[in-house]
Amino acid sequence: MSTTSASGAAATAAAGFDSVPVRRSPLARFTKRAARHPGFMAGAFILAVILVMSIGAPLFTTHDPYAQDISKRLIPPIWHAKGTWEHWLGTDKLGRDYFARLLYGGRISLMIGAATVLLSGAIGTALGVAAGFFGGRVDMVIGYIINVRLALPVVLVALAVAALVGTSLNTVIVVLGLLLWDRFAVVARSTTQQIAHADFVAAARAIGCSTRLIVFSEVLPNIINPLIVVATLEMAHAILLEAALSFLGLGVQPPLPSWGLMISEGKQYMFFSPWVITIPGVALVALVLGINLLGDGLRDVTAPDNRS
Amino acid sequence: MAPFAYGKSMMFAAAAVAGLALPSAAFADKASDTLVYASDSEPENISPYHNNLREGVIIAHLVWDTLIYRNPKTGEYEPELATSWKWIDPVTLELKLRKSVTFQDGSPFTADDVVFTFNYVLTPEAKVVTKQNVEWMAGADKIDDYTVRVRLKGPFPAALEYLSGPTPIYPAAYFKKVGLDGFSKAPIGTGPYRVTAVENGKGVTMEKYKDYFKDSPLGQPAIGKIRFRVIPDGETRMAELMTGGVDWIWRVPKDQAEQLKAVPNITVLSAETMRVGFLQFDAAGRTAADTPMKNEKVRQAVAYAIDRQAMVKNLAGEGARVMHSACFIDQTGCTDDGVPRYEYNPEKAKKLLAEAGYPDGFETDLYAYRERDYAEAVIGYLRAVGIRANLRFLKYAAMREAARAGKVPLEYQTWGSFSVNDASAFTGVWFKENEDDMSRDPKVKALLEKADTTTDTAARKDLYKEALSMIAQKAYLLPLFSYPSNYAFTSDLAFTAQPDELPRFYAAHWK
Repeated sequence: MSTTSASGAAATAAAGFDSVPVRRSPLARFTKRAARHPGFMAGAFILAVILVMSIGAPLFTTHDPYAQDISKRLIPPIWHAKGTWEHWLGTDKLGRDYFARLLYGGRISLMIGAATVLLSGAIGTALGVAAGFFGGRVDMVIGYIINVRLALPVVLVALAVAALVGTSLNTVIVVLGLLLWDRFAVVARSTTQQIAHADFVAAARAIGCSTRLIVFSEVLPNIINPLIVVATLEMAHAILLEAALSFLGLGVQPPLPSWGLMISEGKQYMFFSPWVITIPGVALVALVLGINLLGDGLRDVTAPDNRS
Repeated sequence: MAPFAYGKSMMFAAAAVAGLALPSAAFADKASDTLVYASDSEPENISPYHNNLREGVIIAHLVWDTLIYRNPKTGEYEPELATSWKWIDPVTLELKLRKSVTFQDGSPFTADDVVFTFNYVLTPEAKVVTKQNVEWMAGADKIDDYTVRVRLKGPFPAALEYLSGPTPIYPAAYFKKVGLDGFSKAPIGTGPYRVTAVENGKGVTMEKYKDYFKDSPLGQPAIGKIRFRVIPDGETRMAELMTGGVDWIWRVPKDQAEQLKAVPNITVLSAETMRVGFLQFDAAGRTAADTPMKNEKVRQAVAYAIDRQAMVKNLAGEGARVMHSACFIDQTGCTDDGVPRYEYNPEKAKKLLAEAGYPDGFETDLYAYRERDYAEAVIGYLRAVGIRANLRFLKYAAMREAARAGKVPLEYQTWGSFSVNDASAFTGVWFKENEDDMSRDPKVKALLEKADTTTDTAARKDLYKEALSMIAQKAYLLPLFSYPSNYAFTSDLAFTAQPDELPRFYAAHWK
């Protein structure tokens, strides 16, 4: 955590990370340290590949992920003796191209991950910063809310809500977003507490800055790094939870492709056509591993020099 | 990647878990003379009048007898608990009962038991689940100890069929003593097997009834003990079969059935059943006044959009047939001769949708409760003509309640007619303006009511034909195909399947 700069409110606001007095530009420093971190690079590579392939799905396959041809069901992938190049990852139980479904399903997973993290990040950061900055009763009330939230088992609550409200993509995002904000709040609260008493905050107060300006230009830029790390971990968490909900039949509904749903549907072919469940499973593992590596790396890379 | 190695290790893992969880599984085999059969659901109440599950129907035929027996090979009615019967008039049937039949507690079977059973199930307090099975009767009277008369509410040509199926006979004295609760925990009948234990959530154990009456058309039971185990998960059932934990499973999906054929010591059998899968539309417009399903052209478009032949060939497999009428084609009274048909024609479907005012299709929900693959295939076909259907996959009871409450625009249903070989057992449930009827057309109802009570066979058939044609013409219900059932069992077992979805374990024996 870098809290040494006291160069005035306006300067800090413009600079972002720029609170440690070093000669190199922050971006150059970040790139240099990132390049030397193998975990970060591996995570970034995996995530980039999945991101590019999912977003640019139409460039990588000409198949429609919804187009079924039940006369071509369960074609095995190319490494199997009966595989064909037309469907190189095979087809699913309704003859839909598995590679196309994997790519378009990746979009859903990434979208759910990103949207959930945006929602839960906003909630958690707002609560955490308020608790850390104002302290006292505000802290007590928010601390209580955080404890209540931590006492709720996520999967159970998500299942109950999905069963009551009905299942759809939006429900999944909203439910997960409302459930996964606790770590943001805890981290934002403790880091804000450290910063709230720093000299540059006192200086900003002294020159008459409003509370809003102090929070947005002094506090937030200084706590953003640990929050980004939390965001990556929570994104992986959200993607896994979506897969779990879809696996249990209460997440994304057919015919939308989703990796969790694909794993669930592959279950009944586990004995004799194992690739149906293995392929989305491997994809899910890769995505979650990539995000986690990236998050871990990010934590190391953005840590102050003496702690990396 | 090594998908095969992974698959095998998963298989062993599943088998190991199953073996650990259920040590009693070791008792299933020829050596211990115990047949263990597994299915996915268990009846809420083992008393046959108080459940409407197929698993309950199987137990009903093992533990109880009916008055009349329908020979599954010839379709003829043969004596079972009744030795002979004659119509006194169109609404009175007199039956002579068999002497020297005993219930499994040793008490003799007499006219009192028949009279009590029928009069009891007709009372509202009995809360019979499928009223249609008994409501054609007005009551039963004792003439002497071995003669009874069954009174009908009106002429009912399918009476013998219903007396040979969903109307087992209970022991009057025992039932009066223990009540329904006691009876469902320790039931007694005259049938070839006696229930020794009913364990909720686990299953039912039965053993051979040694004094089963000698002249029974069912024959004498061969296997000493039968255990029914509830295993909800299909993959677990298959793993148990492969590791010897169970001897017999059914409803194996086509793909797995084909693969199981290659497994040594396992026999796979496919047979058609009376179960028909179909789509039901909210033609009465109860979900919303402007629902597309109210439009006849939309419903016809759906009918043209679905390639039922391809579904039969690729999904349902051997033993399935495309159905064109709203009943199972071999049921008495059911016909598709002259009934309008919908071939697979997506172009025509799109044209009809455009004519109906939906050139770009519309979005809707498809409710389903079993065979998710079939429902998803229907969704895929609908999507190809522009109808974007989202799957709502529910438990049967939940779907039934939603449909009865008028919240379902489009439904994937199946109906096995309780193995009653008469068209009334199908049309009577889905079209007589009762709670399961989603189209609610009084003209169809009137025709069907007349058909159900017409005794002249030819006239009856014509009435059904007229009703079925009207149903197809307006596309109130789109029959898809009859269901096959794939049975898989240990090769030590001699088992034959009949086309009515009723496995007869009393006729099975070890090789």
